Amino acid sequence: MRRSLLVVVGSGGVGKTTLAAAIGLASARRGHDTLVMTFDPSLRLKDSLGVGDEARAQEVEVAAGTRGRLCASLLDARQTFDRLVQRYAPDPAARDRILANRFYDHLSGSLAGVLEYMAVERLFEVAREGRYDRVVLDTPPTRQALDFLEAPQRIVDFLDSGARRIALKPWFDEHGRLRGASRLGLIGRNIEAFLDRIVGLELLRDMAEFFQAFGPLYEGFRTRAAEVQSLLRAPGTGFILVAGPGEEHVPDTMFFARKLGEAGLRLGPVVVNRVHPKELGSVDGEDEAARLLRWLAERDRRGLAALRSLLAGRHRLVEVPLLPEEPADFASLGDLAGLLDVLLDGS
Amino acid sequence: MKAGRADGKPVGSLLEELGRRQLLVVTGKGGVGKSVVAATLGRLLAQRGRRVLLLEVDPRESLHQLLGVDPSGGEVVEAGGGLSLQNLPPRRVLDDVVREHLRLAPLVRRVLNSPVYHHFVDGAPGLKELAVLGHVQRLVQGWGGRRRGHTDLVVLDAPATGHSVSLLAAPRVTAGVIPHGPFGHMATELAELVADPVRCGVVAVTLAEEMPVQETLELLDLLRGRLSRDPQLVVVNGLYPRLAPRRQGASRRNGVELAVRRRRVNDAELARLREHWRGPLAELPMLPLDRGRELVSALAPLLEEALADRVEGRP
Repeated sequence: MRRSLLVVVGSGGVGKTTLAAAIGLASARRGHDTLVMTFDPSLRLKDSLGVGDEARAQEVEVAAGTRGRLCASLLDARQTFDRLVQRYAPDPAARDRILANRFYDHLSGSLAGVLEYMAVERLFEVAREGRYDRVVLDTPPTRQALDFLEAPQRIVDFLDSGARRIALKPWFDEHGRLRGASRLGLIGRNIEAFLDRIVGLELLRDMAEFFQAFGPLYEGFRTRAAEVQSLLRAPGTGFILVAGPGEEHVPDTMFFARKLGEAGLRLGPVVVNRVHPKELGSVDGEDEAARLLRWLAERDRRGLAALRSLLAGRHRLVEVPLLPEEPADFASLGDLAGLLDVLLDGS
Repeated sequence: MKAGRADGKPVGSLLEELGRRQLLVVTGKGGVGKSVVAATLGRLLAQRGRRVLLLEVDPRESLHQLLGVDPSGGEVVEAGGGLSLQNLPPRRVLDDVVREHLRLAPLVRRVLNSPVYHHFVDGAPGLKELAVLGHVQRLVQGWGGRRRGHTDLVVLDAPATGHSVSLLAAPRVTAGVIPHGPFGHMATELAELVADPVRCGVVAVTLAEEMPVQETLELLDLLRGRLSRDPQLVVVNGLYPRLAPRRQGASRRNGVELAVRRRRVNDAELARLREHWRGPLAELPMLPLDRGRELVSALAPLLEEALADRVEGRP
């Protein structure tokens, strides 16, 4: 088979991670070596897959007893970022400069957007190494649909923006004073004082140092961002959209479908997860609980009908029933994998 | 509000206690009903005489449906009963800051149209979070005193992306990177606002299911670790009903069995949550109503009752 990449997308809280794991299991059962890349699995899921924190550093093989190998990796922004610096920095001195920089520390650890970017970087590494027949990529929860896939370009654009160009100029001399300011005498000192008042020279120094140290890595960033973009549009790549049940989730689902289309990404099946079974609709009794159960069954039928008519046969609709508990062991994941096996047809 | 006690500390219901703040940040993972809880809380506090602004920062508007009003499109929309609504994507807040600082129309146009500005705003980490909090601060403090008192309290329906703690932590992170200057000062001030439980309350919304509870426990840790504070309230939403005991001999159908087991998961997760969180906790049931105005009206008395416990306020 040709190598393939399945990207599982959908709003937060719809159960992407569990479904990604089950799709991975289905794929390994078919005899394909499979890697599931995920962000934030539940503790129970991690436990039963035997995936601990060591999966943040490298892929871990899951003892699933399948024909193909099943591996899992956890995505961690800071660690991927550090590894990237270690791998691509031109020399140890440059590497240490970046890792010790205060600006880098804030950028890589604590702020939004970086995680998404790093996931794509990691995806690139895995795709290039080509050790798997299939990679199933879970995506972080975003409401803005494709934030995740746009992250690389956004970060490259940011690095490319004025901020970087300005910061890359050698502003500071070897004494840590603004270059030029010393030549300009009193005016120079005034400029320096003004900048110090506005943002603080310390920040400018950190930023300039960061961008300078990052300079050699920067071209690589740009190249990889572009390559990942083409990987996401390659013939072997498909998107699986996971939706919540009920009518209220339909707008979100259609929004994702439209955004994927606009971005030129190939949307395959739509999975409606946690659908309340029809039988609830025939619950007897007039108490509140019985009324609620009937309503839930009816609400989810309405949701499915609305979605079916909006998708108009363009995408396969796969219904996954609400289970008594969120599947987290091999037995229940296996049942789910059975339901989801159809997603692998033609991918 | 309520009369003070002998030692001078005011005592009131938890709801009144929440309403004394300038900002309530309602946080939670996507799909837990965070917006519904924010709207319900806003309604209740407005009924108590506070002038409440519900602030939505998601570019895709949805809160208006819960209040039965037109979309905000960036403007403040009156929703009746002392409650108003505004949808303000962070991007718009930043554009306003540019307008305000540059004043000259051609200059403003040049900046707003420049790709450098776009990329910077999109890519600069923490900037959007800071802009949202800055906007909140100006709302509750009024503009140069003239509109002071227009809004007593902002209920912020926090973005569901990632950990909401990144919104709350952004000022501190920025203040760490930019220690001085106007930006530094702004960030420092906002960091103080967010860390101050007297002015800013945090309401964490969750479902009694494994992942949402796990994330709530992580949120509690992060709030303590990074902001040295607790939330004021945890709301557990969407609980399955407790079904009446099975009649002798009658067998349950599949669907009912499913609901029974789902409730069992709810109870186990509630217990796990309570083990780690001893503070105020409100439970809300799943209701047979579509997301909309009626749902908020039906939840309001339930939430009010859950928050009726008297608590000792801060002096």
